[in-house]
Amino acid sequence: MRRDPRRVPAASNVLVVGALASGLGLAAPALAASSSPTTVPRAALAGPAVPAAAPAPSPLPPPPSSQPTASQPPITDPSADPGDSGDASAPAPSETPAPTSAIPSTAAVAVPRATDESAKPAGATADPPPPPSDPHDPNQPPGYANGFHFGSYGRVIAAGDAAGRPGRDADIVSRGSRLDESNYAELELRREDYWKKTGAYTRIVATTAFANPVFHYNGQFAASIALRNLYLEETGLGAKGLSVWAGSRMYRGDDIYLLNFWPLDNLNTIGGGLGYAFGEARRTSLKFHAGLNQPTDPYYRQTVLRAPPQNQFGETEVAILDRQKLISSLKLTHTWPLGEAGGVKGILYGEFHYVPDGQREVESKVYEALPKDFGFVAGGQVTAFTGKRSTYLTVTGRFAQGLAAYGELNAPTQLRPNRRTTGAHELIVTLSGNWEKGPVGVMFGGYYRQFRNASKQLDFDDVNEGIVIARPTVWFGQLAGLSLEGSYQMQQRGVLQEIDTNTFKPVIAGLGRVGIIPFITPGGAGGFQRPHIRFIYALTVRDAGARSFYAADDVFSRRSVDHFIGMGAEWWFGSTSYFRD
Amino acid sequence: MLRTTLFSLFALGLTACMHFDTLEDTLVMQTHARDWRDEVIYQVLIDRFSDGDDGNNYLLDRENMARYHGGDWVGLEQRLDYIEDLGVTTLWISPVIKNIETDANVDGYHGYWAVDLTKPNLHFGDLNALRSLVAAAHDRDMLVVIDIVTNHMGQLFFYDMNLNGVPDIQLSGTGMRPQGSPVPDGFDQSGFTHLTEYDPDFNPDGIQAFTSLGPAGIAPIIFPYNPKTGHVTPMPEIFARPDTYNRKGRTFNYDDPQQLLTGDFPGGLKDVNTTRYDVKVAMVDAYARWIELSDADGFRIDTVKHVEREFWRYFTQRVRQRLAKQGKTKFFMFGEAFDGDDVLVGQFTKNDPPSAEELKQYADNKDPGPTITGDQLDSAFYFPQHYRGFRNVMLDAGSTQELADLWAQKTTNYGTTPPAQSAGIAPYKVLVNFIDNHDVARFLYWASQNKVDKSPARQRALLHNALLLLFTAEGIPCLYYGTEQEFRGGNDPSNREDMWRPLPYLGQTSAPRPYDTGGPTFQWVQRLTGLRAAYPALRRGDAKVVYSTAHTADEPDAGIFAFERTGGDTPTYALVVLNTNQTHASSTKFEDMTMKVSAPKGAVLVDVLGDKQKFTVAGDGTLELSLAPVTGMVLVPQQDVK
Repeated sequence: MRRDPRRVPAASNVLVVGALASGLGLAAPALAASSSPTTVPRAALAGPAVPAAAPAPSPLPPPPSSQPTASQPPITDPSADPGDSGDASAPAPSETPAPTSAIPSTAAVAVPRATDESAKPAGATADPPPPPSDPHDPNQPPGYANGFHFGSYGRVIAAGDAAGRPGRDADIVSRGSRLDESNYAELELRREDYWKKTGAYTRIVATTAFANPVFHYNGQFAASIALRNLYLEETGLGAKGLSVWAGSRMYRGDDIYLLNFWPLDNLNTIGGGLGYAFGEARRTSLKFHAGLNQPTDPYYRQTVLRAPPQNQFGETEVAILDRQKLISSLKLTHTWPLGEAGGVKGILYGEFHYVPDGQREVESKVYEALPKDFGFVAGGQVTAFTGKRSTYLTVTGRFAQGLAAYGELNAPTQLRPNRRTTGAHELIVTLSGNWEKGPVGVMFGGYYRQFRNASKQLDFDDVNEGIVIARPTVWFGQLAGLSLEGSYQMQQRGVLQEIDTNTFKPVIAGLGRVGIIPFITPGGAGGFQRPHIRFIYALTVRDAGARSFYAADDVFSRRSVDHFIGMGAEWWFGSTSYFRD
Repeated sequence: MLRTTLFSLFALGLTACMHFDTLEDTLVMQTHARDWRDEVIYQVLIDRFSDGDDGNNYLLDRENMARYHGGDWVGLEQRLDYIEDLGVTTLWISPVIKNIETDANVDGYHGYWAVDLTKPNLHFGDLNALRSLVAAAHDRDMLVVIDIVTNHMGQLFFYDMNLNGVPDIQLSGTGMRPQGSPVPDGFDQSGFTHLTEYDPDFNPDGIQAFTSLGPAGIAPIIFPYNPKTGHVTPMPEIFARPDTYNRKGRTFNYDDPQQLLTGDFPGGLKDVNTTRYDVKVAMVDAYARWIELSDADGFRIDTVKHVEREFWRYFTQRVRQRLAKQGKTKFFMFGEAFDGDDVLVGQFTKNDPPSAEELKQYADNKDPGPTITGDQLDSAFYFPQHYRGFRNVMLDAGSTQELADLWAQKTTNYGTTPPAQSAGIAPYKVLVNFIDNHDVARFLYWASQNKVDKSPARQRALLHNALLLLFTAEGIPCLYYGTEQEFRGGNDPSNREDMWRPLPYLGQTSAPRPYDTGGPTFQWVQRLTGLRAAYPALRRGDAKVVYSTAHTADEPDAGIFAFERTGGDTPTYALVVLNTNQTHASSTKFEDMTMKVSAPKGAVLVDVLGDKQKFTVAGDGTLELSLAPVTGMVLVPQQDVK
């Protein structure tokens, strides 16, 4: 079967010790952009690129990472749940940190909690190390405090299979189990100031991200670096509840940790936005954002060589096609409190994508017109949470159409004959949650996704897929734990599978995985508690359909059973990217 | 249990919303053909006809004629209204199988560079798109003929003549050969000598290796592996084996039977050893399967003169038998021998019994089918008529006697016995007539070089008169796509224009919209196909030349060619008269000899092509007609006029 040779299945990413940057868990844009996170989108444009103007293939979308988010209930100390422990010495509920899920993020920033003693880890009662001067719960959203601050997310792993080959992402779906993810880290530096004159807060955020490979694996003194945040936000300037920001920003909502997946809203944008939290309780907020981008793809930009002006020697580059994509989003959130700390959060969400018309050169001085195009996203989310022990249940639904079906950092890979993306769409429905009680907990998630490219004909890019995944954990005191993970994923692609003589159906692939993850942690119990130093063993079983997604001679095309053995670490603390959207 | 449950749930969700329209039920083949004499074939080069699916647009270069341009089966299906409007009843589509992607900066857009006979050429779509096209055609009572090649594969390997493991190419010579002078042996048109391990000159002993120390035996062949250029492992597996190929190098002397049959096709296309039993079986399996998968109705077969007749006997008979068992009869196979030699072209349709040695091969291999007989192809692509009729007569106003002489040899050269289980019509009656095709310059290209009159009106008149002959001559008319749009490209690849980029019509300066149905030639073809449909004699009647002449100058009958279509399965009658002379009106009379027709004396014949003018057959059975230069008439009895 003919395929763009650059195109490989999702699971062909290689971890460093193994891993590739692209295996780190790509953002939802990649999911939207193509059925495979590692698919390098083909230009949807016909005709050759003029040699001098031939742009590089589209870059892979930036790899994000995953942690609990603003709306995802943060860790609460198991001992803080009287109903669970029955410990009379446990702090009263009022002393526990307010669950951010119950508080719009703007509310969270309205009250600086830099010295919030209640966030002190419950397990920090033993002897040395001496308590820090400014103790905080790394799983809590950072409050405002004048000065410079540092936050981070990171994961590092050394891994291999049973034959000694590098560990490798084996998922066939766009968002699979993250046990075999590769190295990734974000280093966030920010400056925060309170302005007495206006009562406003300023936050400047700069986040640097590093993807695989790392120096100590390949010996190359180089890094794959991206600037994931560079923005300034003012809150409370002119009106309480008002926030305004501008810059380059990861702009997103809640994730499914087990899948490294932000299913409803996940924009990487350069632009600005404003938000307003209504009322004193600020249970309702409305956020608007607009931004521009220009993914590296001939769909957006083409340069050609021309003779310089004024009869000068040489040649100069001219952008024949140079169009940007406008992306705007609107998000309405409301939280209904229930009980002492619980509640229900509802979100309505929409995006609009637009690209103006243009023209490109397909041969010297032969031009092709590209019409303007647009797309939209409509979606919603309902989250119910207890406010205790990070227990919640979330359902999301999202439908993207036209240009928006490809995600914000990608170009369409196919077009209709009228050169538009009409007909392209992506539907995603997800379910996720977490439940904890005493020394046990279970995190779970799943999604169904349908993606259709703009071309009406089914082909390899047209995908139905889904996964169910669960990770039960038992904690041994406050020092260690053991997680088991089980998942099953399926994918159907629009390519032929002969099921009987001369009878064909779209190929269906299935892949199951079980894993065991013993870990140690200084933070005690809690599904979202980090850091972890952990060992991972995962057993993957793939069927013939899954094997058929790999090229001949790829070991995954031959192996029905695979092992993944690794050891590594994961942490997050003090980073705004995972607590405010 | 859990896995089963999960699998079931997922499968339910997944399969509920993705399916191929045509593939999920087992295809039951049917016989859609009725009488192939009724058909009007339209030859489509898929890559150039219509782009209906952006999903298969891989590495296109629409500004260069030797590259992929993006046409596909979906696009063709979307244009069936246009084709049906034209009066076409059968589609001939270019080869469907996976090709070498690109070679020496030329793409396999045409389809004749096979690398994998089991997979479709994804540039054109997948099996679903192909089957959908065929089904859509059948829904319109149209048939589909698939182009195939058995003589050769693409440029799959090179001969490692110097044993260095890499393909060496060298250009030598001065390039000083004067244009137009004879090309000496070993030189190409430019006067340079190409020494290439991809395409070395024929050696009857097999391509030899040499080193600095002298001869080194048979040169090994090396299959390069480069997925980007489509040089992947050939399939079925037999085509990845060196001994499947003759490995004797490029044919340069077509008069040498050994070169003709065992030499590589120029361009490095590797000649398959079609005398091998396992190759014959593999070819039958590979190509019959495409009919089983698509329900198409016939094969147009490429380069038949380069393949032994023993192969054609086996291939055609086994294909017919295999398809007939599954309900597909009247399967039509016509072969292309790019040659003006009528005897040679006819060799592949005449009954030609197998040799004892040939039959022994099948016995030795315990071939399971019925005993092979002398049956071969159903029909031939009538190349001799292209040269001697359309080029010499219709274009260059040559002797119409030449065309009459050619037709007179049909029964002798092509045979009068239809093969068993075939379309059931004698080969000579279903030769596939054509004006031009993808391998020769378009008719209008040559018309534009006309020495007498190059005016647009004259060029169009020449084309229209040629079309008149095409649609009224005995046999099956085959129209090359774009002729109706007055495309006028020169030799390959200039004659492979994009249908979606029309040229201005002759004499005009702005192009019509693509797929225009209002152009003068489109409407002319529509008229001719309409006549052909309305008057059975023009489809099924036996042809009898009633007037031809060797006169080409000032003689009063110069350029007249007239033939009757009557008999056969139809009692109806038609008389076609052409004046191919380009300088003066001519009549069907010279001195005291007047055209004699078989219509009864006193019969009134009406020109249904023109202005319905009436003519009466004289009492002696003669009919004197006068025609303006480059015009024609179609006369039918008054009582039959529709």
